[in-house]
Amino acid sequence: MSDVVLSARGLAKSYLSGDRRIEVLRDVTLDVAAGESVSIRGESGSGKSTLLNLISGLDAPDSGTILWAGAPPAGERRARYLGMVFQSFYLIPELDAEQNVLMASRIIRSPGAAERARARDLLARVGLADRARHLPMQLSGGERQRVAVARALVNSPRLLLADEPTGNLDEHTGDAVIDLLLDLCRATGTALVLVTHNAAHAQKTNRSLFLHTGALR
Amino acid sequence: MPWPVYLALKQLFPTGRRFPFFTAISVMGVALGVMVLVVVTSVMGGFGHELRRMIVQTEGEVQVKAKGLLDDVGGVLKAVRATPGVAAATPYVAGPVMVLAEGRPAFPAFRGLDLESVEDVVNLQRFVHAGSIAELDDDSVILSAGVAQHLGARLGDRVEIFSPLFIERLKRDEIFLPRQYRVAGYFEIGHQHLDSSTIYGTLRAAQEIYGLGSAVHGINVRLLPGVNEVEASSRINRSLPANVEAMPWTRSWESFLWVLNLEKTINFFLLLFIVIIAAFSVMSSLLISVVRKTREIGLLGALGGRPRDVALCFCCQAFVIGLTGTLLGVAAGFGVLAIRNDLVRAIAGVLNRQDTLKQFYQFTDLPAHTLPGDLILTVVAAVAISTLAGLLPAWRAARLKPVEALRSE
Repeated sequence: MSDVVLSARGLAKSYLSGDRRIEVLRDVTLDVAAGESVSIRGESGSGKSTLLNLISGLDAPDSGTILWAGAPPAGERRARYLGMVFQSFYLIPELDAEQNVLMASRIIRSPGAAERARARDLLARVGLADRARHLPMQLSGGERQRVAVARALVNSPRLLLADEPTGNLDEHTGDAVIDLLLDLCRATGTALVLVTHNAAHAQKTNRSLFLHTGALR
Repeated sequence: MPWPVYLALKQLFPTGRRFPFFTAISVMGVALGVMVLVVVTSVMGGFGHELRRMIVQTEGEVQVKAKGLLDDVGGVLKAVRATPGVAAATPYVAGPVMVLAEGRPAFPAFRGLDLESVEDVVNLQRFVHAGSIAELDDDSVILSAGVAQHLGARLGDRVEIFSPLFIERLKRDEIFLPRQYRVAGYFEIGHQHLDSSTIYGTLRAAQEIYGLGSAVHGINVRLLPGVNEVEASSRINRSLPANVEAMPWTRSWESFLWVLNLEKTINFFLLLFIVIIAAFSVMSSLLISVVRKTREIGLLGALGGRPRDVALCFCCQAFVIGLTGTLLGVAAGFGVLAIRNDLVRAIAGVLNRQDTLKQFYQFTDLPAHTLPGDLILTVVAAVAISTLAGLLPAWRAARLKPVEALRSE
């Protein structure tokens, strides 16, 4: 299946808490096709963020396999293949909005005119064309998250992972950010895995899954 | 520009924000350490430079000595003067004597000068503050200012001089009466050792005091400008008898020059500890930065940044702090050197010790001479030590797992 950007098979993950081993994920299987949007809901502590960490290759599963377009995750591929949006925006305070967006490009190579144009274009598409030179401390929460969305998309990734991106935003701003995220992914053909508590946001994706007692339904 | 370097510069010099406080403290620490190193090595270099200059000015660049006394003075002088690169040569006799003035003794070195040739080798006249070299004859001496002050001798006074020959004759039950000499002048070279314990007389007077006949202790040689003293010594030696040797002043004063260099080296390494302490400040400020920026470090990992690039970012910060502090320290050091004499005079004035300085230090002004090699060593050592101080924070940052770093509060 050449259009499968993410294939996770039989993922299991557990942690030691004192003497007790806590099973967080059990036999989780997930396929995401190119351009598809998938939401994952679940209670706090159900393992949603752990699953995203495994998918992104930032953490290793105890068992199971993960493939990005048929190849195992690798650190050096992450910058090109994956975009990530977090609940906390994680903008670098010393860089302005455009420089923060370009930071994801810099990890791959020094940005040229094309990368700068793309960063400015993305900032315009998230409605921040006139805030490109503003530092994160000069932006509101919603604006910061929109900068983070632009940063996640600047390398034209095949897959975007969003871990509760509206968790630190009010309802109205959160709705706007989710709509923006979905629109941009649709426009760029980027697959989206959205972890959220919000049922309304989940319903906007192509497929809605629920993580309960370590299993995905 | 690689992203670790870009991010390091942005974090140290953020756009539209003030210079970070902890970074400023680290830069100041390195700058202070480097400033002290530059000042001390330059002043030590200045002392060394002045001493070397005075040795050459008072003894010439090459000394010719025999194993024992130099008997064939005329023949050796002729050979030396005929050697290419030699500008002038003058014979001398030198040794310790006892001087008595009104019953007050002093034990200076007596240096007998050939009045016909000495001024071509050693320009003594410019050091004579009272009297004149021209007034020197076989019955007179010129005292250094320190000896004159110690003896309380004034121009025209008479002093008695006893030589070791006096004791030799006593052993043989012979009486060798001391000779009286008129004080024809005072000199002050500016070198505490020479100014406190030297007297000058004629060559004939010195030969008489030591019972040398026509022999001398050695010959001072002045070279033409730009002639290397080692090569000139070799050339002179080729025309000298086997028992006579010409040696460059650097060899005659080898032990003294070694001690001078040793003092400077020890001072450098002791003061380097200021830079090492400043490096700990660099390390602690970067460790604080690693803790404060844990989530950003996690983000860089999540974006695909490799641990070694994260480490390089912190090493770059340490390097830039070290380089900035070093450049500021060098500039501040030269600033202090420019006003060093005003500072010394101000401190001496406050403590009311102006005369004490002149009495115990060898120069009336604080000399300074910055050798390019010393400056390069200071800069390289300070930047290297500061950069090394970034290794621990860099290692801590590189070890952070992105998942745990992003989760940290």
